[in-house]
Amino acid sequence: MDGCAEDSADSEGDYSEDDFDSYYHPGGDYIDTEDGQTSADSADPELFPVECLTIEQVENLLNEAVNAVCHSLNTSPSLAKLFLLIHSWDVQKVISGYKADVSSFLATSRVITAGCNCALAQPSLLHNHLAPAAADTVNEDSFVCPVCTCAAPGKSALSLKCQHVFCVDCWTAYVQVKISEGLSTDITCMAQNCDLLVHEEVALQLPISNYHKLQYQHFSFHNYVMSHPQLRYCVGPNCSLVFKAPEALAKRVVCRQCTSVFCFKCGNSYHAPTDCGTIKNWLTKCADDSETANYFSAHTKDCPNCNICIEKNGGCNHMQCYKCKHDFCWMCLGDWKGHGTEYYECSRYKENSETANESAKARAALRKYLHYYERWQNHAKSLKLEEKTLEKIKERINQKVMNGSGTWIDWQYLLDAAALLAKCRYTLQYTYPYAYYMNQESKNLFEYQQAQLEAEIENLSWKIERAETTDRGDLENQMYIAEKRRKTLLKDFFQT
Amino acid sequence: MSALPRRIIKETQRLMAEPVPGISAVPDESNARYFHVIVTGPEDSPFEGGLFKLELFLPEDYPMSAPKVRFITKIYHPNIDKLGRICLDILKDKWSPALQIRTVLLSIQALLSAPNPDDPLANDVAELWKINESEAIRNAKEWTRKYAMEN
Repeated sequence: MDGCAEDSADSEGDYSEDDFDSYYHPGGDYIDTEDGQTSADSADPELFPVECLTIEQVENLLNEAVNAVCHSLNTSPSLAKLFLLIHSWDVQKVISGYKADVSSFLATSRVITAGCNCALAQPSLLHNHLAPAAADTVNEDSFVCPVCTCAAPGKSALSLKCQHVFCVDCWTAYVQVKISEGLSTDITCMAQNCDLLVHEEVALQLPISNYHKLQYQHFSFHNYVMSHPQLRYCVGPNCSLVFKAPEALAKRVVCRQCTSVFCFKCGNSYHAPTDCGTIKNWLTKCADDSETANYFSAHTKDCPNCNICIEKNGGCNHMQCYKCKHDFCWMCLGDWKGHGTEYYECSRYKENSETANESAKARAALRKYLHYYERWQNHAKSLKLEEKTLEKIKERINQKVMNGSGTWIDWQYLLDAAALLAKCRYTLQYTYPYAYYMNQESKNLFEYQQAQLEAEIENLSWKIERAETTDRGDLENQMYIAEKRRKTLLKDFFQT
Repeated sequence: MSALPRRIIKETQRLMAEPVPGISAVPDESNARYFHVIVTGPEDSPFEGGLFKLELFLPEDYPMSAPKVRFITKIYHPNIDKLGRICLDILKDKWSPALQIRTVLLSIQALLSAPNPDDPLANDVAELWKINESEAIRNAKEWTRKYAMEN
């Protein structure tokens, strides 16, 4: 796994799964506790070979395809780019499509008008068919440009293959206006209802200003990247990196420059085990309904034992009342005793069968949504709070090192534990939209695994918050279990 | 502002010399890029008999950019909102420098004859136009009588 494609929740950067595994299992051949097989990274459901490219590397990649087409079809780079843009940068498709039927290929590429089977379609003419029309094409004495209504004696006029002739001044003004509107490779002929494209060579041969030239190159490059199925811009604001993957899958990309974490396929925040469509529905729904939800979920709760008002100050859902020392679960307000050892089930939504009339149904629907939304929100909050825990851990490590109890390296495991906790809780957060939309079929298994994961995460969080009094071996064991549960859930339910 | 382009002068001259039936477009005395437009409601449409005032402005980039046109007279139409803004493709992405003031105004007149509730600008109007066309047409006629037939 590529280091840059992995989490780096701590500021030190290069934390990756490989490091994690090799650090805890130096031999690399440890036995999987559950199925007795050797743990192989090839089975990792989140594995995704994504490359991080600079602008120059992207240019080289695109140019390779352009050169291949130019070479094979003996055409100009400008037209090759146009063909590739329209055919999703599939070199083979361009070459075979062109060779199969030149006229219809050029028509679908919007280089010639459909139904025009004239000699213009011959490849030998492709190179210069857009050069300014010479005097013999346009009778210069009688030609009046239909746009500026000026006679153009001595001025050059030109047309695309559609033969809609306009003077160069008008073309130039037109292309500059279109570039200012953000267009580049999609600029069409000036004539009404003519959709032939003014391709790169034509646009840049016109006497447009240097500013517009640069803008054109900028916009067209953007269009090329956007149309390439293997390339994605980083979603981070002002981040110019481009990512390349062999296939557009809904997998995790971590930007090494701006640390954005996003889904390669849809560009939203990484959302395993939920799929792209579901997360979009969920986020839209939350944007619409969350006001109601916020209204329902207050920021404080009363201790179920002594009724004193309690504010949640850490990520862990295992609460201990500071007054009466009662241990309870923040989610269900039940006694924690039943959570730690036995079956953890407050992540499970119980469908109520008494839905007699419409309003009861609506109430039930809202209750169902709130159930999932509350948990989704709660884990998001926990993630934030655990960031603070991480800060505290760093402070404590500094103190300890200063006081001579252990070296900095001795305490690294705490940072690793915090990073792992963040990763697990993140996945747990995204299991709730999945559960909200899933059908009954495999719901029991999913909710069982979700509950298992949740229990282990709360355990881990509890142990990290009390790291001083927790045995290191115990904590590391807990880390291993939590990550195992996370991976198992993803393996079973994350389909890309 | 720079000198008036030949294209605008030619178009204005032609609009005056050969006006389009049912449409008058007169440039403002102080601004040759601003036109006072009156479109008569097309026959056999709910707007028949009405005189609709519009304003038309030719931006600096004209004809590379589309003219800006707006209804001043209130009109009950699914593609025209209450501020008089018009939803018409040739005023937006389908604009071509080969189009003219004349063709734009003809298209607007045609839009009055053939409302398109599937591409609405005024949502409530379009909604009614789809579920109860006869009531929508009644409203359009009433608005025409009320706002477009004074004097």
